[in-house]
Parts: sequence; structure tokens; C-alpha cells
Amino acid sequence: MMKISLDPRTKIFMIFAVSFIVMVNAVTPLEWGIRIIITLIPIILMITEGKFASAFRFSVLYAAALLLLKFFISSESTGFISAILVGYCGIVAQFMPAMITAWYVIRTTKIGEFMSAMQKMHVPDGISVSLAVVMRFFPTIKEEYGSVCDAMKMRGITFGGGKVTKMIEYRMIPLLFSCVSIGEELSSAAVTRGLGAPVKRTSAYELRMKSSDLIMISIFMICVILFISAKYFG
Amino acid sequence: MNDNKLKAKDFITVGIFTALLFVVEFACGILGFIHPYIVASYVVMIPLVGSIPMMLFYTKIEKFGMITIMSVLLAIIMFVTGMGWLGAPLIIAAGVIADLIAKKGDYKSFKLISISHGIFCLWVCANYFPVIVTAESYRKSLIDGGYSAEYCENLFRAINSKTIAALLVLCFIFGVIGAYVGKSIVKKHFEKAGIV
Amino acid sequence: MIEINNVNYTYKGSSDSGLHDLTLHIKDDETILLCGASGCGKTTVTRLINGLIPHYYNGELSGNVTVNGKNIAHTELYDLAGIVGTVFQNPRSQFFAVDTDGEITFGTENIGLPPDEIIRRKENISEEMGLSPLLGKSLFALSGGEKQKIACASVSALMPDIIILDEPSSNLDWKAIGELKNVIRGWKEKGKTIIISEHRLWYLKDLVDRVIFMQGGCISHEWNKEEFMHLSCDDLKKHGLRPINIEEKYIREFGSVIFSSGTQASDTISSENSIQIKELFFTYDPPKYLIRKKKLSAENSANYTLSIPEINIPAGNVTGLIGKNGAGKSTFLRCLCGLEKDCPVKITVGGITVSGKKILKKCYMVMQDVNHQLFTDSVEAEVLLSMNTENKAKAREFIKLLGLAGYEQTHPMALSGGQKQRVAIASALAADADILLFDEPTSGLDHAHMETVGELLRDLAKSGKTVIVSTHDPELISICCQYVLCLEKGRVKYLRKV
Repeated sequence: MMKISLDPRTKIFMIFAVSFIVMVNAVTPLEWGIRIIITLIPIILMITEGKFASAFRFSVLYAAALLLLKFFISSESTGFISAILVGYCGIVAQFMPAMITAWYVIRTTKIGEFMSAMQKMHVPDGISVSLAVVMRFFPTIKEEYGSVCDAMKMRGITFGGGKVTKMIEYRMIPLLFSCVSIGEELSSAAVTRGLGAPVKRTSAYELRMKSSDLIMISIFMICVILFISAKYFG
Repeated sequence: MNDNKLKAKDFITVGIFTALLFVVEFACGILGFIHPYIVASYVVMIPLVGSIPMMLFYTKIEKFGMITIMSVLLAIIMFVTGMGWLGAPLIIAAGVIADLIAKKGDYKSFKLISISHGIFCLWVCANYFPVIVTAESYRKSLIDGGYSAEYCENLFRAINSKTIAALLVLCFIFGVIGAYVGKSIVKKHFEKAGIV
Repeated sequence: MIEINNVNYTYKGSSDSGLHDLTLHIKDDETILLCGASGCGKTTVTRLINGLIPHYYNGELSGNVTVNGKNIAHTELYDLAGIVGTVFQNPRSQFFAVDTDGEITFGTENIGLPPDEIIRRKENISEEMGLSPLLGKSLFALSGGEKQKIACASVSALMPDIIILDEPSSNLDWKAIGELKNVIRGWKEKGKTIIISEHRLWYLKDLVDRVIFMQGGCISHEWNKEEFMHLSCDDLKKHGLRPINIEEKYIREFGSVIFSSGTQASDTISSENSIQIKELFFTYDPPKYLIRKKKLSAENSANYTLSIPEINIPAGNVTGLIGKNGAGKSTFLRCLCGLEKDCPVKITVGGITVSGKKILKKCYMVMQDVNHQLFTDSVEAEVLLSMNTENKAKAREFIKLLGLAGYEQTHPMALSGGQKQRVAIASALAADADILLFDEPTSGLDHAHMETVGELLRDLAKSGKTVIVSTHDPELISICCQYVLCLEKGRVKYLRKV
């Protein structure tokens, strides 16, 4: 399968466009059509990256929500269960496109690429450095949390003896202690390798807008314009 | 040496605590999937639980800008994870104001820190922005689609533009309470262990 | 040329001083080994040279340090980045990027080199160090040894004249240490000045030019290469150092077996006086299922990560668990203490067979990073937390038994590494576990602490507990293990009496 690698800036624009469209409700078939298109594009992109399972899962969930909303929930449906169902399907149908796009972007962008994209967009170094740390720390927190949970299992205190406060405390405290000490070492390793130098950071990744980027941007641009004109100018 | 400028070490500290805070948000977010009404209780849960890392974070702040950067990062992460950009102005404004308040006490005065944390916690409300904005139009489309108005009222009772004011106030109150909770935990563990 | 002249240093908030009137001159191209017990100040010396003191750590400093003619106190850290490079102890925490490529180029990007130069350096280094199989991978998917290699590459990319390594082998196995040694040798051949602070001495003996022995913040001894090579075991012991000629002594004994292939003869261990373990199967890649999860069993065990149909572990003894990294030692321990739900293991102790969740009550593991298993705000509370019914008198007994008397009200995280380990052991005793598992308890410990741990394990076994300890330290085996269990690819290679 051919891999379509997009510039991070294109990806950011995609999120921007999609989250704009999901903010406004869709009524007419054209509006729904646009929504479905902007949902399908990231799914197709995911498939080109070889992430079949997630693409499949997302499509099934989205399709199910749409179908339920369309065929099984009508004005006659009342009662608790259908209220919840409407709520869920509404949320899924409404926000799924944004979630799928976000998922695709997060999974396919390297931190280095992202940082150099931010640099090209003139985001201050402080923010891009902190953001890189955030990205690096999510998996670390996951690892550390896993170990803490194992330790809790061995002690039989997973449920904190039934107290919610203890449950939170036993999870948070060891996690915070490890994160602080990892952070300490991370900082010293980073500053000895020149982080914070008063020169312009460079990047090994050279970002260039390619034709695929331009095509993708145009598609999303057209979608947004069509959507707005359909919505507000009939 | 210019000591008022943030250094690499500070940026890394901000990054770490932002990640921790977002993990708290994310964990609460998953609970929200159980029932939409739980979503409304974010304003209680996130300030209280998040106060533990936040109060530890406050002990590490010495200079202006760290809370502001944290709010910018939160806004960016919210945006990238598909929660829209509508909340961004609120998040960043809360961050800047919280930063200024804490700065007034030189990041030492606990009274000002607790107020600062209360203000900072207003960012939690940004979670509701997409729902509130879309709820209005979504309800309209449901009514257009033939649903009874009463039915829609029930569906959207918890979340609408009137309740947002109440939610903001709750966020602030629980943010201040959280500051005390977080402080006591920092004292119980981190001060006792000699980490801060 | 590094000159440290009459330096005194005290860390902020610490009462005992870090360094006393320390003077040390290091010539260009020299390879220096700093050794001594934990807390002797060797890490502090490395921090003087790479500028973390005074630019990162707060404290009181007097005297002066110059590196290549630059006064460290007046040189910013980022200006030192191209001159001094540092590899730190913990491979897990020192990387900044998430992918290997980004990590190697991190430093060069910071100092603003042009992109084509960055790429050129990255390619050179990955060729020199043989990193191509690691490129493009997530750092979180790498083993400790691989991470440490990437850390070395990242430092190398900045092309510093001076390279500092702060206990770089702490978390590595023998094979990874061998590779680390090659990296250091490569640097030495290029004429770099190398300063290594380390507890493990054996892998460095033919690399170093000079050995500095530190004690209480002072340099108390200095050996040149010749003298160092000929230090007797007694001399080393007197200084509290680990043996130098360990290869000859142990690696031939264990290492050659570990790295050879095929199973070897085991000693038979009768089922009396032993812990019988059955159906120890586990795989990280379970068969896909739709409705009912398939139980892991002997029939399909060919591809399992861990497959031990039956084994008897001598009760009331210390059994050392050895094997290469990735041989399944950690998985073995995790399964044995019930952390892997899918593992169908059954354990029989004294005629009673347990399986499933009940195993958690029988076995207790002291984890490699013991910080994860300390939850409360005092040592006493920590021990009480493990008890089914709180019994303060008994808790105090356990605390005293492990030499922690006087620390009852101290926060566990305020203790030293070895003390934390003992708190975890006290909790294990309080939980009344019969089988105690230790995951590499001595990595990164100096000789004295290792002996203490060894004796402790022996005492635990004497008191009737069954102890299984995974380790890369042959010295620990010689101190305390009665049996050695060797794993290869998740299969038992042999179980023998030492």
C-alpha cells in the first residue's frame, strides 16, 4: 500500500477544519454527505498507513451510530434507554470525525516533525519544548502507572480498602514520585546536550509542502466552504 | 545571568505536570462515557484530583510564565485530541490570570496560590464548550426532525448555556478547596520525604 | 585538559558535604575511572565537569574548575554541550525524544547545526556503532541496553572532546555491558577524554589509564593501570570495591553456559521440601479469540514466551535466576506472583495448591524499581498496610528485623535505595508471603550494599521463606544462592546446586 505522508501543518489544518464542521449540526443530506466525507478521508489515510484494525473499528462505530440515529430512533421513542441511546449516538455521530482525525494525526506524526512544524509556524521555543516533553511523558506515565498497579495488586490494595480517597492516593503518590525523579534526570540529560541554547533550533526533518498536502488542504477547504454555504446561505 | 527568564529546566517541569494533569482529565473523561451526567461532575473531580499534581507543581514555580505555558499546552492538547478550539481563549485567559495572581504572592503565599488554582481550574469548563455550542443547534435539529420539545429538554437539561455559569462557579470553588486538599497531600508526602 | 582545584561543595539542604578540598587534573586522551562506595562523591565530581554544578544543582561551591581552558562557573551549560558529553545511569529517564532518530539528533538540533550536517553525523554514528537495526523505532520498545546505546550515540553526535559516563552499566546485562565496552573503546581510539564513574569494574579494567578511589568526598587513593590490574581480591574488598577479575571467575562459569545453546543436565530436586510449580505458561501474543478465551496449555506452548510445564524449586533456599536479557526472567517472576492473569500456573506449597488470584497472597515480589511499591507516608504505615489485621507490635518486630528501627515514622521515600528495598521486604513479611521474589535487587549497588542484600536473602531463606532472585551479578549468586535456575527463551535450561 502506498503511504501518503502529509506535512504536520496539513494535519493541523485537517483537525482545524474537521473540528469546525463538527461544531455545527448537519440536517440536509448534503451536509451529512460532507461530514461523512471528512470522516472517510482520515479512515482511508489510516488504511494507507497499515492501521487496518483501528480503521475498521472506527468505521463500524461511526456507521452504527449513524444507522441507529437514522432508522431506529424516531420521534416516538421515549423513555430512559432511548434517551441514553440518542445521547450516545448523537455524541458519536457528532464528534467521531474529530476524534478519528485526531487519532490519525497523533499516531502518524513524529515529535521531531511536529516540533519543526511548530517552529515554522513561529511558535515560541518554550512552548514547543514543553509540548515535546508532554508527548514524551504520556508513554512514561503509562509505564509507571502499570508498575504501580502491579504493586497495588500484590498488596491487595487496588481498591484502596473501599475508600475512593485512598484509591486515588495510592495511585497518585508513587506515580508522582517517579515522574518527578524521572523529570529530574531528563532535565539534566537535556541541558547537558544543549537544550536552551540561545540559538535557533534546527531540525533534521525538512518540511516541505508536497502535492499531496495541497490536494488534502484543498479538499478540506472545499468541504468547509460547501458546508458553510449550505448551512447559512441555503 | 538573567534569572527572570524561564530556562530549559522550567519548560521540562511544565511539560511533565501538564502531562500528569491531562492524564487526570483523560481518566475522568473515560468515566464520562459511562453516563453523560457524569460529564457534569468534571467540575468537581478534575479540580480535586488534579490538585495533587498541581500543588506539587506550584512548589516548583519561581518565575512568571509557567502556568501560562501550561494553559497554552492544555489548549493545544485539547485541540489536537479533537475537542475543538472554542475553549482555548478561556483556558489561556484562566492560565494568565492564575499566573498573575500567584505571582503577586511571589508563588509563595498560599492564600493567593489557592485563588490562583481556583481560577486556573476554570479551564475544565472548556470541556463543555463544544457540547454547549453544538447542543443548541443539535436540539434544534432534533426538534426539526420531529422530536417533542419536552423530550429534548430532558436530554439537554444538564448541559446548556445557563448551567455553564453555575459550572464555572463550581470549578472555582472546588479549585480553591482542591488547593487545600492538594496542599495537605504535598505536605503529608512530598515535604515529609524531603522532595520539595 | 580538566583541572579541578581545591573544590569544596555542599548540596543545598543537605547537611553532609559532598566534596572536601578536592583537586584532580585530567590530561587530554586520558580514561579515568572513578570508584568508591555509594555517596562517596564520584557523581558529584562528574557534575563539576559537565557543569550541572553550579548551573543546575543548587549548593555551595568554592574552588575552581576549568575544562579546556574554560572556567565552568562562567560558562553556560549550552556552551559546554559541544565540549563535554554525559551518559547517565538510567536509560529509561534520560531520553528526550520518543523515537531513536530524534534522540540521536536531539543535541545537534539544540545547538543549531544545519540539517544536512545533522543527517551526516547521524549516518556516520549509526554506521560506526552499528545502530541501523534500531533506527526508526520507538524508544519505548527498546531494551535497556539498546536505550543506553542510543544515549551514547546522542552524546557522540555532538562530538565532544570529553565524555562522562555516570554508572552507565547499572541497568544492563552482560551482553549489553560488552557492547557498552566497545563503544567506550571506540571513543578511546578516537582520542576522547573519558571519565567513568562506576561500581562494576571488570569490564573497564583494560580500558582505563588511571583509577581514582574516593571516600567521603575526598580522593583517598589513586592507581595507574598496572597497579589496578594487579589489585588482589582482598585489596578490593578492603576498599569495598567489586572484583575486577570477575570474568575469569564467573562469566566462564555462568556466562558460557548462558550463551551456549541447548539444555543442560539439571540436578534432580525431590518434590519433598520443595515448591512445586506447574503449568507456567505465558505468551505476550495470545491467540485471537472471539467468545471464549483459550486457556494457555502445554499443547500449544511451542511459541509461548514462557513455557515451563513443571519445576520444583527447593523450599527454604535462595535460588538465583539467571539468563540473557529477554530470556523471560521478569516474565517468570511476574507469572509466579500472579500478576499475569492469563498464566494458568499452579503452585503447591506444603501440600496446598493455589492458583489464580490466591497466588498473590502466597508470593510477593520486590520490584526492580522499588519506588513503585511504596504507598504510605511512614515505614510503619507501609508495613501495617500489608497486614490482614493491623498489629502494631508485630509490625515493629518486622521493622526491627530488617534493621529499620528508628525509622518507623520516616517517609519511605526519604530513605536510601537499600533501605527502601528493606521496607518492601518488611511489607512482604507482613503480608505473610511464603515465596519472596526479587527482580534484580543489586543492580547499581556498591559492593558493601550488595553483600548486605545477599546476607539478607540468606537470612530470609533460613527463616523458612523460599527466595527466588533474578540477577546479572554473579557475585550475588556466590554470596547467597544455593541453587541456580537458568532460563533460555522462556524454557528451563538447567536448575543446579551451586
